[in-house]
Amino acid sequence: MKKRAIGILRAIGLGIFLVVALFPLIWIFLTSIKPATEVYTFPVKYLPSRATFEAYRYLFSFARFNMYFKNSFVVATVSAGFSTFFSLMAGYVLTRERFKLRTFLILVLFFVQMLPTYLIMIPQFTMFSRLKLTNTLTSVIIIYTGFGSAFGTIMARAFLKNLPRTIEEAALIDGCNRFQALFRVVIPLLLPGVGSIFSFCFVNSWNEVFTAVLFLHTDSKMTVPVALYSFVSKAGIQWNVMAAGIIVALLPTIVVFSLAQKYIVEGLTQGAIKA
Amino acid sequence: MLVPTFALVFFVNLYPLVRGGVISFQRLTVFNLNNPRFVGWNNYRTILNDPAFPRLLWNTFVWIACSVAFQFLFGLILALLLAKPFFGRGLYMGLVFYPWALSGFAIGLLWSWLLNGQFGIVNDVLIRLGLLKTPIGFLSDERFAMFSVILVNVWYGIPFFAIMLLAAIQSIPSELYEAAQIDGAGFFRKLFSVTLPYIRPTIYSTVLLRIIWVMNFPDIIYGMTRGGPAGATNILSVQMINIVYYRNNFGLASALGMIITAILTIFAVIYLTLLERGEFEL
Repeated sequence: MKKRAIGILRAIGLGIFLVVALFPLIWIFLTSIKPATEVYTFPVKYLPSRATFEAYRYLFSFARFNMYFKNSFVVATVSAGFSTFFSLMAGYVLTRERFKLRTFLILVLFFVQMLPTYLIMIPQFTMFSRLKLTNTLTSVIIIYTGFGSAFGTIMARAFLKNLPRTIEEAALIDGCNRFQALFRVVIPLLLPGVGSIFSFCFVNSWNEVFTAVLFLHTDSKMTVPVALYSFVSKAGIQWNVMAAGIIVALLPTIVVFSLAQKYIVEGLTQGAIKA
Repeated sequence: MLVPTFALVFFVNLYPLVRGGVISFQRLTVFNLNNPRFVGWNNYRTILNDPAFPRLLWNTFVWIACSVAFQFLFGLILALLLAKPFFGRGLYMGLVFYPWALSGFAIGLLWSWLLNGQFGIVNDVLIRLGLLKTPIGFLSDERFAMFSVILVNVWYGIPFFAIMLLAAIQSIPSELYEAAQIDGAGFFRKLFSVTLPYIRPTIYSTVLLRIIWVMNFPDIIYGMTRGGPAGATNILSVQMINIVYYRNNFGLASALGMIITAILTIFAVIYLTLLERGEFEL
């Protein structure tokens, strides 16, 4: 009897958490498919009288979201690719070899991981403006790769630590160098880890807003978060369009998260701390 | 093989941090990017003598303390609810944990629509339930703005705590619970004598990390209020970004940035020392 009561309480608790977590997303989606006339009503009209994609059409034609989306995609993919590559190499050396500066370097990575992007965006801006690289996608790609490599390395270390050394020792004895051993033997065994590092870097780059707003100011260079940022200050943006923009900004990360959640969570609890 | 990562980390992260220190002593705006002038401690004086500065500190403290406390509380409850397997748990976790990966800025925008003072669903529901007579300006009313942004931050941060605490709870050997069971311990007794003491290292490290992270998390506030109304939700990080974006004063913003970095470094050193000493492991 008591056990049953606890079970019911638990189900209610889990139900509440589920509703609270999902409702905001469902609501913004409903807003995005409402006709413009049904967005601003009070009391609120819960369901649209008919579902329409006019907000999305507006977004991708007049508001040029196809371009912003492409920019974001390029930035996130390229920086995540480089970050993954660099951090696997660094993580590998930092797990397999003992040398003097090792602990220090690891602490540096942990420290860098705690640095928020906005805090160093000004000096980054002055540096890149001297190189005439502000307002280019290259500049934010380089910056995101820096952040990504730092926490990617910490994640890579967490995965590599669990892999017994004997696996690549045979390859090393056969005359492979470290680099070959890593890419021919270790990485094929570590694909879930590689995927989670990549996803993690992708999501962080996709979401970054403050550096991007400072660096990218012409329309053709903007990423999705920058476009949303400029929406807020623009008069006359309807909330159904805004809602559609938010959905477009969130969708790729939701997709990545649902594909890689298990591994990301694993990496997170094993030592990657940036959330 | 270490070179690419550490060259980048140096060029993109560490050197700019030092450079920021130099800029904080300069008069540097967008308009004189190439010929800055050294002005001593002027920028720091301007920041510290600003009559709004004490309120900025207080807001930052409230923001951190309330956010982390409630994120922890609800994260712990969720982790405890998830501790025992049930049918569909994997799917459930995916659905409940998803906010964790989303853009804080977009989440702020999203919630500013839900909490809208005229057409917001939250007002609508509260009025239908008879809890309110007229809609509240959650974001436009100074009395409610801080409460609102913290509410959203708590919503956003629950999954992170739940993930970390759940992983720790699942590593507790079941013999401990069996022993407690034999001793006749009830739910709360088990919670306070077995679960919490066992996962204490995880709690410490997660809370400390979260304090650092929430202090440096202007995204949600920036999506919702940008520090307003009348500075009601202005915290240190938001103020720094406002100085960059609206006043284009890089020197002044860098001085504030160095103050934030100093606070961050104190927390980071505490964290890294505990980590080194093995108080908790990663």
